Amino acid sequence: MSDLVLRNIGKTYANGYQAIPSIDLTIEEGEFIVLVGPSGCGKSTLLRMVAGLESISQGDLLIKGDQVNHKEPAERDIAMVFQNYALYPHMSVYDNMAYGLKNRGEPKSEIETKVNAVAQMLGLEELLTRKPRQLSGGQHQRVAMGRAMVRDPKVFLFDEPLSNLDAKLRVQMRVEIRELQRKLGTTTLYVTHDQVEAMTLADRLVVLNKGHAEQVGTPMALYERPASTFVAQFIGSPSMNLIPSSIENGVLQLGVDSQLACPQFSTDKVMWGIRPEHVDIVPLQDADLSLQVKAVEALGAETLIHGSVKISEDKQYPFVVRLSGNHAPDIGQPIGLRVPQQAWHVFDAETTKRIEPL
Amino acid sequence: MIENRPWLTGFSHLVLILGVLVVALPVWVAIVASTDPANAFGVGHIPLWFGDQAFANWHQVLIGKEGQASQVLRMTLNSLIMALGITFGKIAISLFSAYAIVFFRFPFRGLEFWVIFFTLMLPVEVRIVPTYEVVANLNLLNSYTGLTLPLIASATATFLFRQCFMSIPGELVEAARIDGAGPIRFFFDILLPMSRTNIAALFVILFIYGWNQYLWPLIVTTDDAYYTLVMSVKRMLSVPDGDIEWNKVMVSTLLAMIPPVLVVIGMQKLFVKGLVDAEK
Ligand SMILES: Nc1ncnc2c1ncn2[C@@H]1O[C@H](COP(=O)(O)OP(=O)(O)OP(=O)(O)O)[C@@H](O)[C@H]1O
Ligand SMILES: [Mg+2]
Repeated sequence: MSDLVLRNIGKTYANGYQAIPSIDLTIEEGEFIVLVGPSGCGKSTLLRMVAGLESISQGDLLIKGDQVNHKEPAERDIAMVFQNYALYPHMSVYDNMAYGLKNRGEPKSEIETKVNAVAQMLGLEELLTRKPRQLSGGQHQRVAMGRAMVRDPKVFLFDEPLSNLDAKLRVQMRVEIRELQRKLGTTTLYVTHDQVEAMTLADRLVVLNKGHAEQVGTPMALYERPASTFVAQFIGSPSMNLIPSSIENGVLQLGVDSQLACPQFSTDKVMWGIRPEHVDIVPLQDADLSLQVKAVEALGAETLIHGSVKISEDKQYPFVVRLSGNHAPDIGQPIGLRVPQQAWHVFDAETTKRIEPL
Repeated sequence: MIENRPWLTGFSHLVLILGVLVVALPVWVAIVASTDPANAFGVGHIPLWFGDQAFANWHQVLIGKEGQASQVLRMTLNSLIMALGITFGKIAISLFSAYAIVFFRFPFRGLEFWVIFFTLMLPVEVRIVPTYEVVANLNLLNSYTGLTLPLIASATATFLFRQCFMSIPGELVEAARIDGAGPIRFFFDILLPMSRTNIAALFVILFIYGWNQYLWPLIVTTDDAYYTLVMSVKRMLSVPDGDIEWNKVMVSTLLAMIPPVLVVIGMQKLFVKGLVDAEK
């Protein structure tokens, strides 16, 4: 049975603002779903509707087959980890974790067993008697997770739980969250705007754009076959190069000096795209495309070359190439690029949706 | 600000010392007069040094003369009941009203808020006649309820708690909701402990306010079983034949000063913390 079903879910705020027009989503038991999208696209709104902290304006929300639209958060059997952790400042770590169980009226001995088990799993045994203000940021985070875990909920909800940590700790906690979730097998809904976090954590990704689910799928599916230019640019770093171009009689007109053989598409005004890592450098005379180099970022293991492609006499488009190893092209000089056809992404210039060869 | 100008430091100290002297002098006089014989505190004459009647004076006030038991204990008790009643009443009612205003959405919430605000302009002294009439009609003259109840409603404390509650992050409220804390649990488990230091600070201020009430107890009590310490000082001054026993007045005055001083000293730490608190 599906664990969590969102059927035609929509949200209109009291001030009349429609944050989410309609979303359909079916989540299987034990899945790790990541909601990702730019700021203000409605990620938190959606998560909070699932949690019961925000009323649902339309549609049905089902948890394990039960309609829970009008249930209180505590009755939905979910647990949430907040961005700022929201630990009770006057309670010890132990009490913070035990509070939900206490309110459910569980016997003391059972609470103790559960809290201790979770504390051990998260390495919090030493901290149980401390108050939140005596903890570091990472420990706060862990306690917040512990509080969610002791309740053994049907669904975990995370709202940007790692955004207050430094970069190193963030990577470490990311790995840990994934491991724990696998071990516990709890269905998880996770909000982030960090696409690396999204790619590494998710079983399936939901890319939100202005309250619409732009695309739902595995990280690899989204990377390999983005359904729209929005997803194409959002997933992958640096993001995909997109150049407006036209197709005529089996020829793709890319830049002023670049014509490439090309299969037939249903439209001739297109956005042509290729990921920076799928481009090769070749001598200028063999090149599909020439790039005016503007800046080079050497990161050690890889090099990013930023430049521009001339698409008409007075118009240039930014273009990024990502190469492994060390390269040092001359700045201000043109270099030749090869853009293999199997790495192309073609989108309808008007609808911005992906299109395939006829 | 760090300043290093010796004459400025010296001057500041001088001003402060003068201030302390001005504040302390009456207290000093009270202490001294309470040890002198009754006639030491005469017209145009104020004693500045201790006399030898300390034991006799205090004994008389605390225990009473022969054949006439002292009223002081009774009055201290009354004062205490009134002060604590007002303090706890004010704190409780302000906590509840601030809780309602901050966390609940009910019709006329804005209006309610302004009505409470409006009562700031109506302290007891202003509404004393109508309040007296209400209390009299309810048969509450000469009762502890009559002494405390009309003084309990407090806009100031409500605002203080409102401010304190509004600084509690929304996420915390939501976390409690997810943890299954209903409105009552949330109030007692989260809100109350988090406002601990504010409550302590308010306790000090309100206790002193309640203890020092003078006009209201003077009006609603006619039975000396309900007289309070503070008003008794005044009554000792209006003896019919004009022979005021200043030494005993001073003993009573000092007695009336002790409880507030104890409260301030005892709660000093929490009081300061409550006023500058950042533990949220
Ligand atoms: N209470 C509210 N009333 C009206 N509009 C709201 C309310 N809360 C959020 N919104 C609007 O709804 C939209 C979605 O907000 P939401 O908080 O879900 O964004 P988000 O995707 O979580 O963004 P971020 O990444 O910045 O957290 C925003 O445009 C926001 O302004
Ligand atoms: Mg958000």
